[in-house]
Amino acid sequence: MSTDTSTELSTENPDNPGRRAEPTLPELGPLGFLRFVWRQLTSMRTALFLLLLLAIAAVPGSIFPQRNIDAGRVADYIAQHPSSAPWLDRFGFFDVFSSPWFSAIYLLLFVSLVGCIIPRTKVHLKALRARPPKAPARLSRLSEHAELTTDLSPDEALAAARELLKRKRFRLHSHDDVSLSGESGYLRETGNLVFHLALTGIIVGMAVGHLFGWRGDVILPEGERFASSAGTYNTYSPGPWVNDEQLPPFVLGLDKLDVQFNKVPGKGFGMPREFTAYTSLSPGPGQPATPQSVSVNHPLTVDGADIFLLGNGYTPVITVKDAKGEVLYREATPFLPQDADYRSVGVIKVSALPTPKQLGITGFFLPTAEPTFVNGPVSLFPDVENPEVALSIWEGTLFPGNAPQSVYTLDTDQMKQVTKADGSPALVRLKPGETYQIPGGRGSITFESVKRFAGLSVRTDPGAPISLVAAILATGGLILGLTIKRRRVFVRVRPVVASAGGPDGDRSTPATVVTIGGLSKDSDAGLAAIVDALHDQLAQRKDRS
Amino acid sequence: MNLAANANVALYSSMIVYTLAMLAFSWHLSARAPHVAAARTRANEREGVLVGSGAPSRGTSSRPDAAELPEQESAKSRQRGNVALMLTYLATALLLAAVVMRGLAVSRPPWGNMYEFATAAASAVGLAFCLLAKKNNWQWLGVFIVTPILLVLGLAVAVLYTDAGELMPALKSYWLGIHVSVAFIAVAFFTIAFAIGVLYLVRARREQNPDTKPNFIESLPSSASLERTAYSVNMVGFILWTFTLIAGAIWAKQAWGAYWQWDPKEIWTFVIWTVYAAYMHSRATAGVDHRKSMYLALTGFVCVIVNFTLVNLVSTFVGMHNYSGM
Repeated sequence: MSTDTSTELSTENPDNPGRRAEPTLPELGPLGFLRFVWRQLTSMRTALFLLLLLAIAAVPGSIFPQRNIDAGRVADYIAQHPSSAPWLDRFGFFDVFSSPWFSAIYLLLFVSLVGCIIPRTKVHLKALRARPPKAPARLSRLSEHAELTTDLSPDEALAAARELLKRKRFRLHSHDDVSLSGESGYLRETGNLVFHLALTGIIVGMAVGHLFGWRGDVILPEGERFASSAGTYNTYSPGPWVNDEQLPPFVLGLDKLDVQFNKVPGKGFGMPREFTAYTSLSPGPGQPATPQSVSVNHPLTVDGADIFLLGNGYTPVITVKDAKGEVLYREATPFLPQDADYRSVGVIKVSALPTPKQLGITGFFLPTAEPTFVNGPVSLFPDVENPEVALSIWEGTLFPGNAPQSVYTLDTDQMKQVTKADGSPALVRLKPGETYQIPGGRGSITFESVKRFAGLSVRTDPGAPISLVAAILATGGLILGLTIKRRRVFVRVRPVVASAGGPDGDRSTPATVVTIGGLSKDSDAGLAAIVDALHDQLAQRKDRS
Repeated sequence: MNLAANANVALYSSMIVYTLAMLAFSWHLSARAPHVAAARTRANEREGVLVGSGAPSRGTSSRPDAAELPEQESAKSRQRGNVALMLTYLATALLLAAVVMRGLAVSRPPWGNMYEFATAAASAVGLAFCLLAKKNNWQWLGVFIVTPILLVLGLAVAVLYTDAGELMPALKSYWLGIHVSVAFIAVAFFTIAFAIGVLYLVRARREQNPDTKPNFIESLPSSASLERTAYSVNMVGFILWTFTLIAGAIWAKQAWGAYWQWDPKEIWTFVIWTVYAAYMHSRATAGVDHRKSMYLALTGFVCVIVNFTLVNLVSTFVGMHNYSGM
């Protein structure tokens, strides 16, 4: 992926004569064929094509829901589009950024990039040691040029030019006594190469993060504690090379979750204003805990792992008793918010009962319930103003075949909804402190109180610092590579005998004609300024002498 | 009257002055067209006379634009252009005042929702144009900059308006000041480069058919010069966009725990970066027509617009950047 094939150092590939048809095609051996493929792959046009293809390939990732971001939305989408979704799924449109076609594009692009940088680095290292080339025969043919006649001797004129160009950081060399060659802007190519190398560094950092990083999510209700280990997270996703034994063994207790929402009526009504979790953190079990707060944008760091506050919601404390009044279930059960007003869904699985008499209770928690339920269970505001649960009750086998299932869904395959005496389904609406007697003498459900929970995410990414350094290098390289111009300036002197300019013209003095030429293949507004400055300053010296 | 209300008054005033500036810039362009026609006739008549006259000691270089331009400007058009520029300075000062007052009213960087982002971006376009216009003689460009500014401001006021208010927790970070401001400054440069790029394509097309009746397009700098200018301005935008991307990733790491998660906004930021990167590469490749490259840059700008409008507002693109305030 060479950026400026337009500099004369790397113009069109001389080995690749283009599309001209040749009368006899030479036989390509297997090695020759590989060389051909390699050249095609590392050509600028291929790189450009891959770059654009990468941009286009990324777009579906923003249009279709992605599993890595929100698996639930993917499931909804598949349910809503039964005919197209299986095909989209087959071609990886719900996992665009881990799909084979997306990977193929960026891998080819990076192969192309490396294949381009390596030879260019060699060329550039040679150029860094080389002397500026000989001045071309006719400087007046260069894009920028100027000529003047001066009283200075040829040597003096060259010395003056040398001094001026030196100050402008040109590398200088005289191939003969009457000319001077200067070149500047080597940092342009250095910057280009650093930029492209650093891009590969970002990829390396991502790979390291993928292999050695891990992530654990946990839902922690107020007043509860959590000890970190591979088994205690609600979801734990380690990289392939992570040793589960070496997770930091910290213990985190959630003392209080401070959540505030905008109560001013209008467009921003109900928008979140503040999320802060006040926690007590100890580096290991049995060690003293210190109070620490975690909030959005302010993660906590412990033992190289960062703890983020990424979500919050409500855990209604619900008690289920049997007919004799014995407690079967009493837990702060997290209900997951579904919308901005925290209409939340959750499941209570009373597995203490024998099959097929187990109870499954599912339904909604509404922090500020709309009292009439004309549009079903709806919450009007995300904060707890009028809390209510709306539940339905199922009886049967909770875990058919003992298959693993999510704690947030109820598998009703082998369950039947509990009905009232008249045969209509039993729908339970409870406010804190209220109790419902389950029909058929099955016991009772009590909505005791409601607590908040914090959705915490613990993450390590050992590759992130690599990517960060690489990204900073890339930016630096990009700035150098784009703003610095590779320039060549040539000066040639020619002694002449100039007439003094009087009408008789008989007095004549020796003089020097100085020709200046400048060359740059980049769009370079500064080159003219340099040639002008050289011209003007040499002209001034003539005046002084 | 509180600060936020004063900010709105300043914003409406700036829109009025921008409207006047837009009219003045059009008035300026209308003076350029007849002049260029006359200049061309004169040049045709003088042709031949010039040949054979003494060659100047300073060789003519490949920069005829600078010499071309003053001759093509009549005193009348120059006057009108300067009036329009003065109006633009005033309008931009009013707009900047509006943005600053809004920021003081909410005690934070005033770009926390779509309305604020749009006004801040418009003020950045105005400011960048004001800073560059005088030096580069960009009076001809004015109408193509002021009109989009007015459109964006009108859209902001009519559709996107959000009352001054507190931020949601995810935005409460000093990175809001860094990441978002660099983003809209980059957008400002892309906008200016887009206007120049479109003019370049029109000018290049008309240069191929020299017999067309001259209009103000012929009074612009040569297509080669327009192309170079668009490239330089795009280049600044591209560097700033690179910075936006990296600053965004650093912030994402702090706020969401991962620096890159392919959220729709991240995807489109990446797409924009990639398209402009393709433009920079194609521009630097020998043998690629600059016009083709320019189409890439224009595509990049379309992506910028998509990123700001569709990605913010259409629920298909729902992700973590839900800050439109809509």
